[in-house]
Amino acid sequence: MERAMPQAVPLGQMEVFQALQRLHMIIFSQNVSPCGKFLAAGNNYGQIAIFSLSAALSSEAKEESKKPMVTFQAHDGPVYSMVSTDRHLLSAGDGEVKAWLWAEILKKGCKELWRRQPPYRTSLEVPEINALLLVPKENSLILAGGDCQLHTMDLETGTFTRALWGHTDYIHCLALRERSPEVLSGGEDGAVRLWDLRTAKEVQTIEVYKHEECSRPHNGRWIGCLATDSDWMVCGGGPALTLWHLRSSTPTTIFPMRAPQKHVTFYQDLILSAGQGRCVNQWQLSGELKAQVPGSSPGLLSLSLNQQPAAPECKVGSARGSGDPGRPGCVDRSVTTLLPLGPDSRRQQLQGGCLYQSGLPSFLPVLLTSSNTPTSISGV
Amino acid sequence: MSSESSKKRKPKVIRSDGAPAEGKRNRSDTEQEGKYYSEEAEVDLRDPGRDYELYKYTCQELQRLMAEIQDLKSRGGKDAAVEIEDRRIQSCVHFMTLKKLNRLAHIRLKKGRDQTHEAKQKVDAYHLQLQNLLYEVMHLQKEITKCLEFKSKHEEIDLVSLEEFYKEAPPDISKAEVTMGDPHQQTLARLDWELEQRKRLAEKYRECLSNKEKILKEIEVKKEYLSSLQPRLNSIMQASLPVQEYLFMPFDQAHKQYETARHLPPPLYVLFVQTTAYGQACAHMKSSQPPRQDKTLSVAIEGSVDEAKALFKPPEDSQDDESDSDAEEEQTTKRRRPTLGVQLDDKRKEMLKRHPLSVMLDLKCKDDSVLHLTFYYLMNLNIMTVKAKVTTATELITPISAGDLLSPDSVLSCLYPGDHGKKTPNPANQYQFDKVGILTLRDYVLDLGHPYLWVQKLGGLHFPKEQPQHTVIADHSLSASHMETTMKLLKTRVQSRLALHKQFASLEHGIVPVTSDCQYLFPAKVVSRLVKWVTIAHEDYTELHFTKDIVEAGLAGDTNLYYMALVERGTAKLQAAVVLNPGYSSIPPIFQLCLNWKGEKTNNNDDNIRAMESEVNVCYKELCGPQPSHQLLTNQLQRLCVLLDVYLETESHDDSVEGPKEFPQEKMCLRLFRGPSRMKPFKYNHPQGFFSHR
Repeated sequence: MERAMPQAVPLGQMEVFQALQRLHMIIFSQNVSPCGKFLAAGNNYGQIAIFSLSAALSSEAKEESKKPMVTFQAHDGPVYSMVSTDRHLLSAGDGEVKAWLWAEILKKGCKELWRRQPPYRTSLEVPEINALLLVPKENSLILAGGDCQLHTMDLETGTFTRALWGHTDYIHCLALRERSPEVLSGGEDGAVRLWDLRTAKEVQTIEVYKHEECSRPHNGRWIGCLATDSDWMVCGGGPALTLWHLRSSTPTTIFPMRAPQKHVTFYQDLILSAGQGRCVNQWQLSGELKAQVPGSSPGLLSLSLNQQPAAPECKVGSARGSGDPGRPGCVDRSVTTLLPLGPDSRRQQLQGGCLYQSGLPSFLPVLLTSSNTPTSISGV
Repeated sequence: MSSESSKKRKPKVIRSDGAPAEGKRNRSDTEQEGKYYSEEAEVDLRDPGRDYELYKYTCQELQRLMAEIQDLKSRGGKDAAVEIEDRRIQSCVHFMTLKKLNRLAHIRLKKGRDQTHEAKQKVDAYHLQLQNLLYEVMHLQKEITKCLEFKSKHEEIDLVSLEEFYKEAPPDISKAEVTMGDPHQQTLARLDWELEQRKRLAEKYRECLSNKEKILKEIEVKKEYLSSLQPRLNSIMQASLPVQEYLFMPFDQAHKQYETARHLPPPLYVLFVQTTAYGQACAHMKSSQPPRQDKTLSVAIEGSVDEAKALFKPPEDSQDDESDSDAEEEQTTKRRRPTLGVQLDDKRKEMLKRHPLSVMLDLKCKDDSVLHLTFYYLMNLNIMTVKAKVTTATELITPISAGDLLSPDSVLSCLYPGDHGKKTPNPANQYQFDKVGILTLRDYVLDLGHPYLWVQKLGGLHFPKEQPQHTVIADHSLSASHMETTMKLLKTRVQSRLALHKQFASLEHGIVPVTSDCQYLFPAKVVSRLVKWVTIAHEDYTELHFTKDIVEAGLAGDTNLYYMALVERGTAKLQAAVVLNPGYSSIPPIFQLCLNWKGEKTNNNDDNIRAMESEVNVCYKELCGPQPSHQLLTNQLQRLCVLLDVYLETESHDDSVEGPKEFPQEKMCLRLFRGPSRMKPFKYNHPQGFFSHR
């Protein structure tokens, strides 16, 4: 009798609290290290966890190697955004951007290299920073978020050089047009604004919700995600995910996805998007849904591509989750070599900052069938 | 040979011719004397050697004569007859000599014999004397050894050492100048001193004896006095009983209890002693109040002492009995099968038998509610069980949903994490159960009480995790080390349960009973209302579609209590499935939400619902209120109402829908949304009264 009884692990006060904390964790941001072997993930408790992709994705990966190598408290509030330069990891949360040295992060007890706060008008609460964007040509960083402005920071000197304003509500996302020094920003006010960095002026405004084709008033106006490639721009959020032609300011393709999208990116001749819902979606530019890769998390907040050819075994595009937020699916994108269909195919999950393998067998690894070497996004 | 020797000697004799002549003359002498004396006298005078010569000579002469006669006869002449006659006369003379010699010889022999005899007698006398002397010597030697080996009494006497003797003894006893050189005198002196001392001691002893006698007499007198006091005291005691009761000082009762406690089995005894001690220690600690006045912990023993005493009597050959009954059983099984089940039942009853005595522990809380714990000891299983009952000062109206809160079955469940008290803590029991076919103790728990681990520890029983062992000894230190924590936990448990009970009573009527000291956690105006609070089964909880995460995280064990709350505002209905851990309020209740408004929203499809859950589940510490935070559940529910208000009021208005918003924004918010996940401002800032983001 008592021998056979399944014995639930008795939970004390601490364990219950930790379990609840893990259950309510949200991974807001993630970034692949410059070498492509490590992944940093930031959660709503202000912690950054570093995972070793090479260890977690290798064929003999154990449970242990899917746990974070290092976890450290980076911010007091959530870590909303992270970007990587050649040497630094920049993370942003409530009001502040902090820099960490990649070389030191992997050592225990790493300390921030510097921290900067954009010049805010005094307010009852500190505005958050929702998006970071590197402008390599200028060696500057653009920050945008709660105070409805785009702040440009010179990475050389660490000073804030200019502020662009025009948004009437807080800014969700930023995108850089690589050819011309122009930045796109999308915000809660439902507008995508195009800024010229040379003149620091607003060049163009697209108020997406005003176009009937893509407007979805029950979801709100907000633009949650934005990506651009030459003359094309894709954005989504409250309104439907739409591909725009920038010069003519017209929506060309409206993707048939009902759930609001939180992250979108161009990848070769495809568009990847994620948001409410368990899947990472792959779209043809024509609007056809090419594939859906299910993850464990009911909602995804960010996608990240590992574009380092240096570590071919670690080509990972990962999608981080909200919803069942602690468990963002980490989508393995390296095509045929790494995750062949079959019993070996594994999916990694991050839970509570620990990478572990889920029991779900249904991961379809064939995302991008064509390429063995994912490179940066080229023309469509 | 003699003839030979005689032949040899013949010439000698012949040569000494003078001898016979001499002999002749000697003979004539004796003959002369023999006239007067007997021949005996003659013997002395004659030399035997001569006689021997004479004898030899005579014999030779005879032989010669005989030979001559024979010669003559053989020749046979005429003159022969004369010659023969002559010769015959000569022979006769010789014969006479021979005869004489013979006589002499006889006399001599006789004389010799006499002499020998005489000598022999003398020797014998000497021998005897020698023997006597030897014996005497031996005897004397024995005497000497005896003397040497003689053990004097004084050797056994432990004498004072020499130095001490010379130091202490008076000079007339010690006589140092005499005794110094003479050990014998010394010993004597020491013995004298010993005697002296002993005499003195004897004197003292006699004195002491008389003293003792005197004291004994005194005691006797006093005893008599005391015994005469007893009835008086008894009567006083009797008279004072009502006073004792009135003053809550049950001295008498305590004494009786200690008497009974001797019959308790060891674990219960340990429990009794430790709880009593703890209770007294507690009473002492609260010395600011009059001692023993507020007794939060009272211990009593219940049950029949006689039965317990009967247990201690030697068992009447139980071993034989068993084997007998076994044999009997075999027979009976052959004869009557149906009785087998009954017998097994009896065996089970025997195995689960508890000791006739039990310990009652009443734990009084601040609000006068009392937790009654009855501890039993299962003799054959060597485990302890407890039954719990809660009584309150005022009559409680039991809300339907609070059914399990104070039920004896669950009130103490999981006092320590995982200690649900449904399986036996003694691993050895499993084997005993197998024998009688008991599947699990769980089925008997209602009857016997719960064998919680902490109960065993209070009784000083410590069981190893895995291996069964039969020698489990009741240990005081184990009990003592767990006493304080356990008592505190018990008190907290009862108080939290009673607090929950009270809260449930209001919750069932749709009132969230926020106390005044928690009011600051919430805005003054809360529109959402609790409309339903019901208990649900564990199975129902696990089947709900929005509770999957909690179940998967292992937070929904079957020891928890489950409830369903419904919060409403207008058309919006918020279902909240609540897991109430028995460890409330140190372990918070866990809420899972499902909002029915413009479609079903759960944490799966709405980040804000998830945020609301984390507000009540993760940030519960803000809602604890004043210690010991029994109001947590109420505050969480009230917070949930506030959160629903915020959620509904900040929902972006759908421009395409005609008419005013269903929920106009009344709450003051800094911003409606924030961050990539578009969180709503759920955090309430107390004095200013506005809502912001966390």
